[in-house]
Amino acid sequence: MRLVEPFLELMTGMMTTLKMLVTEKPVTVQYPEEKKAVKPRYRGRHYLTRYENGLEKCIGCALCAAACPADAIFVEASENTDEKRFSPGDRYASTYEINMLRCIYCGFCEDACPTEAIVLGDNYELSFTDRRQAVYTKEMLILPVPQGGAPTPQVTEPGKFTRSVPEMKDPVD
Amino acid sequence: MAHLLLRHRDIPNLDQLDVYVKNGGFEAFKKAVTAMQPDAVTEEVKASGLRGRGGAGFPTGVKWSFIPKNITPHYVVANADESEPGTFKDREIMDFNPYQFLEGLAIASYAVQANLSFVYLRGEFYYLAKKLDACIAEMEKAGYLGDNLFGTGFSLRLRTHLGAGAYICGEETALLESIEGKRGQPRVRPPFPAVVGLYSKPTVINNVETLANLPYIVTNGAAGFRKFGTDKSPGVKIFSLSGNVNKPGNYELPLGATFRELIMGCGGGISDGRKLKGIMPAGASSSIIRVDDTNLDKVLDTTMDYENVQSVGSLLGSASVIIIDDSHSMDWVINKTVHFFKHESCGKCTPCRDGNYWMLHLVERIHEGHASAGDIQLLKTVANQVNGKCLCALGDFSTMAVTSALERFPEDFHVGQA
Amino acid sequence: MAKLINLTINGVAVTVPDGTLVVDAAKKAGIDIPVFCYHPKMEPVGMCRQCLVEIGRPAIDRATGQPALNDDGTPKLQFMPKLETACTNPVSEGMVVLTATEKAKAGQKELLELLLTSHPLDCPICDKGGECPLQNLTVEYGSSQSRFIFDEKQRADKHVHLGELINLDRERCIQCARCIRFQRDVAGDPVLGFYQRGRLTDIVTYSDPGFDSVFSGNTTDICPVGALTTADFRFGARSWELKQSASLCAQCPVGCNVTFNTRREAKSGGVMAIKRVMPRQNEQVNETWICDKGRFAGYHYTEAESRLGLDAASMESALSQAADKLAAAKSDAVFLAGGRLSNEDFYNLKQLAAKLGAKAYLYSPMAGGEYTTAYGLGAGSNLGDLGKDDTVLVVASDLYNEAPVWHLRLKAAAKRGATLIVAAGRATKLDEFASFVVRYAYGDEVETVKGLAGKEKIGDAIKNAANLVVFYGSDGLGLAGTSALAAACADLLNGKTGKVNNGLVGVWNAPNTQGAYELGLAPAADLKSELKGKTVYVIAADPAGDDPALADALKSAKAVIAQDILATATTQMAAVVLPAAAYTEREGTYTTAERRVQRFYLAVPAKAGTRADFAIFAELGKKLGVELEGRSALLVMNKIAAEEKAFAGISYARLAEVTAQWPIVGRGDLYYGGTGYENKLGLGVHLALALTPAPSTSGRGGQMRPKENELVAVPVSKIYDLGVTMAPAKLLGQRIGAAAVGLNPVTAAKLNVENGGKVQVQVNGVTAEAIARFDESISTGVVLIYRSFGIPISEPTSVKIVVAEKA
Repeated sequence: MRLVEPFLELMTGMMTTLKMLVTEKPVTVQYPEEKKAVKPRYRGRHYLTRYENGLEKCIGCALCAAACPADAIFVEASENTDEKRFSPGDRYASTYEINMLRCIYCGFCEDACPTEAIVLGDNYELSFTDRRQAVYTKEMLILPVPQGGAPTPQVTEPGKFTRSVPEMKDPVD
Repeated sequence: MAHLLLRHRDIPNLDQLDVYVKNGGFEAFKKAVTAMQPDAVTEEVKASGLRGRGGAGFPTGVKWSFIPKNITPHYVVANADESEPGTFKDREIMDFNPYQFLEGLAIASYAVQANLSFVYLRGEFYYLAKKLDACIAEMEKAGYLGDNLFGTGFSLRLRTHLGAGAYICGEETALLESIEGKRGQPRVRPPFPAVVGLYSKPTVINNVETLANLPYIVTNGAAGFRKFGTDKSPGVKIFSLSGNVNKPGNYELPLGATFRELIMGCGGGISDGRKLKGIMPAGASSSIIRVDDTNLDKVLDTTMDYENVQSVGSLLGSASVIIIDDSHSMDWVINKTVHFFKHESCGKCTPCRDGNYWMLHLVERIHEGHASAGDIQLLKTVANQVNGKCLCALGDFSTMAVTSALERFPEDFHVGQA
Repeated sequence: MAKLINLTINGVAVTVPDGTLVVDAAKKAGIDIPVFCYHPKMEPVGMCRQCLVEIGRPAIDRATGQPALNDDGTPKLQFMPKLETACTNPVSEGMVVLTATEKAKAGQKELLELLLTSHPLDCPICDKGGECPLQNLTVEYGSSQSRFIFDEKQRADKHVHLGELINLDRERCIQCARCIRFQRDVAGDPVLGFYQRGRLTDIVTYSDPGFDSVFSGNTTDICPVGALTTADFRFGARSWELKQSASLCAQCPVGCNVTFNTRREAKSGGVMAIKRVMPRQNEQVNETWICDKGRFAGYHYTEAESRLGLDAASMESALSQAADKLAAAKSDAVFLAGGRLSNEDFYNLKQLAAKLGAKAYLYSPMAGGEYTTAYGLGAGSNLGDLGKDDTVLVVASDLYNEAPVWHLRLKAAAKRGATLIVAAGRATKLDEFASFVVRYAYGDEVETVKGLAGKEKIGDAIKNAANLVVFYGSDGLGLAGTSALAAACADLLNGKTGKVNNGLVGVWNAPNTQGAYELGLAPAADLKSELKGKTVYVIAADPAGDDPALADALKSAKAVIAQDILATATTQMAAVVLPAAAYTEREGTYTTAERRVQRFYLAVPAKAGTRADFAIFAELGKKLGVELEGRSALLVMNKIAAEEKAFAGISYARLAEVTAQWPIVGRGDLYYGGTGYENKLGLGVHLALALTPAPSTSGRGGQMRPKENELVAVPVSKIYDLGVTMAPAKLLGQRIGAAAVGLNPVTAAKLNVENGGKVQVQVNGVTAEAIARFDESISTGVVLIYRSFGIPISEPTSVKIVVAEKA
């Protein structure tokens, strides 16, 4: 009895292992050849978005920088003119930088943005060989001009883009 | 009965100086200046119980007695701005019986010892200003104005001043600002104009009709004046009747006459034989009196004086009685009044400036049938939000018609079919 | 002393002087009542209605005339049925004010909702965002949701230029009229007004050019929303990103306390940069105001492209060369220093010159400092205290152009009842507020002042004044003239010397001229001859650029060493150039013309390759065997305090002391006093009067007056000129205008000159073109030439005017 009992327990354990070996599929993902899909609300690297006409949504208000708990965002604003327009209204971001090493991907910037200009995407593949590479500039963050839109700066009709903050309907969640 | 104020209806060509003088003109002024002390004039007017005819109904003599004697000079300003929708009594006096008004102004000036007095007219009264200027020139020529009047050493000059067409300039402090050449906007009170008025000097401001009463009071004494009207509201009053009546116009009746006498008697009843639905006794600033089968007699038998009109939920004000018959919905009426007040708000204080803008959007939505369920309640809230917070009384007045209509005629306000 | 009134606010017992408004009484008790239109420096108007509170007053029993009592014996209170405005109601005995009851709170909240119906949702891009009273109050009192439909908001112009300096956003304006009232009542420049009425009410400017006032920037501080913003800070930074550095304005001798807002930014190459100048409260100097020259030109010259700088090795060799030249010259060296230097710089300079046996001169167009040091304002003086029974005399100075904040403060003193006497050779803006205006012919300044005491009313006002303050300037005068004028003015002050609120004030052209005089420096009577053959060490001055004659004199010098922050005509002709740090890049102190020593602090790091002036002197001293303190400005001040009697007892710690000031500004409640900064780093300390015997004040005078058929040019000042501290300010540059000369139309007629016509001016060996401007108030035969407009003029001198040929 004293001899058989440990043996039985061992056998039970081995059986489980054997069973798993046959029935379960492996969970290891062969990254980078194979990439796992992320959840819809995953918070990855940021993008600066554009309107359909190509104008930048960012108005350089720096509320993202104010909201950032890691002080990772730096914004400097300048003035738009109809001859040289980057965004609707008077103000655009002439400098927009995010330090990806500082960023904690909390998404507060996205929440703070009054124009939905900054969004956190699903790109988590950030690696740098130099700390300076971690500072993403506006050129790196902004999305390409959508089809039918024009690149910024644009020459626009006077009086057409006078409002910085678009008149949105009540936000629906 | 002979008219006291609208005497020109009895005597033709009363707007000519010789006709006016022939009919006892300027006897009162002469009597006051030569035979009475200024204080005695004030006391007589106090005793007569004459109350301001511009709307507030403040006792005129009491108002004069507030003028401090140790600060000089004093001014008297006649408020001829008459801008309340539905009021057209002062215009008639000035147009056809100008000397009686000017004599009253001269008496008031003597009573408070003012040597320069003004007539402030709304901009649209330029033709009246011309006429009054001519009358004043005639008076100067005839020796009723100028230095050493009747050999007493009292001197008086009158000037007319035209506004630029703003309802707010009927408010007494805004009127003073306007005479001084500033924007017509009300001042903070206190200090009251009786102490710090025109050019920072003590100033009496009286309505045209009030002043037109004075010659009669001086000639006939307080007792003579008290023959008319009620004990608390003595004298006669010109009622400007308009709206859905057969014979709109100015009617001079003793205070204490009933609505029935005015509307059914003088006015010849409701036009087209329709039913009476509402009465606005003080122009656009009134609370609207609801009249229906249940209270028709009670309302019509209400006497029109400064006290009793309150019993049916409104104020006598300037007695510009607007009659509304049952062909009109009250949402249409307040749409009109709010439009008026939004347009005429001077913009100095927030509640009136922004509140009327907001109310206008709401009443338009209601009137055009786009109102949501919350809009009617919101209109009531906004009106209450404005009422009682404004710099001057006109801000509060702008909400009177709105709140009373919402409260008394709820069936006229509908949620839109959107 | 006004009667004291006891009242209760929210249960807190408060005692304040009679006449205090409820809103101020509450503020003193630490209770904030929200306001928009009310400002403690202006009369209440009760327009915005935001300060609604419940006010109860003790009821009076009509029968007895005695205060009515409740059953329990407490005074019965009578509350108005409506809420009342705290800003228009003065306190009264036994008053009970309730600011936080449900009724009052509801009133305030409802009011705010009404205001917001006309306000756009601009906060993210608004320059006021973060320091905006409306924003703060909305968070504190407002509702989180609007019942007003956004689409029904009224639209208006967003970007209106009220002149070059101030932008107006008509949508954001809440019609509180603070700006209009400031311009009319405080500045005395009524150039703003309302247009239209009701909801369409707009702010407009009447003047051409738009918003033509040197105080315009202050309206942006007191604007309770982002309707008025300055053009130079447009989208400059968000307010919460800014750092604050206490400093002083160095544009004139008033010494306004300012705060430099700084930020590290990419546009400036990743370094700290000054983003804007804001007033810092000092009720005894500038209250909460600054002028536009200080705000828009203030520091710009320290960032000019012509800033000097040397790498370490070159600096070392420059210092050695300078030391060698000075060592060779010894007493043949002449030091010439401008009034831009700090007290510490002047002290080290003086020590260095003394050890060498060299002469040290102040470079200033105006003399008389020996009188202002002996007859200057007594310790504790404050122009804000002048009022009834006091007299202020302003002679030969256009304060609006030369020291704007004094203009504003003297206007206020006149309003409080002080007798203001303005004596000048031409009409000035201050005339409007003066009790007496004395107009003299240029050249008669000294005689005029001597004659004042003999005049009936003016003489009485001067003799019987409880306090007498005399301002004298250099309008139409040079060194000799100002010196004689100072003496004549000092005569009026005999017997009042050293008393509080009494004294002589020189309207200098530099921030620290008074400090130089206090430390014993003075201008040379004949500078040109002093320079010949000498080794000239010029510090913070540009004689060569100011006057070709001085440039020639410098050429005749043995050697020129120039020390400055900017490249100038003088540095170009110097053998050795020593680059100095600007005052924004270091610590130090200035002495205002009112004899108040004030500290300025480091705002931005020193430009590479520059050093503070006092440190350069110390470095030179080391090479010349003179021990000078060069480690820090604080240590230099300790030495000054120990050795200079006037500065006895002054230390950096004392200069940083702050006492409570009224009104309370700059705290969280920006709606009360505006966005000017609270003073946390020092109100400054008054100098003791120099104990040197008062200089003889008699027997000088004799000015140049034009003879028949002769023209005399006199120097006068204009606020915006082409001087080195002004020219680099691009925004203000648009207001400078072309060089002009002022002429009486009668004089002009003789010369066939038209108003606005071009003329050729031949003066001091130079021919220059200028625009002729008629001024009927000046005497005939006199030509006004503005300083720092490219036409050299320092003393009254003969001039020729020829009509320029039309091109």
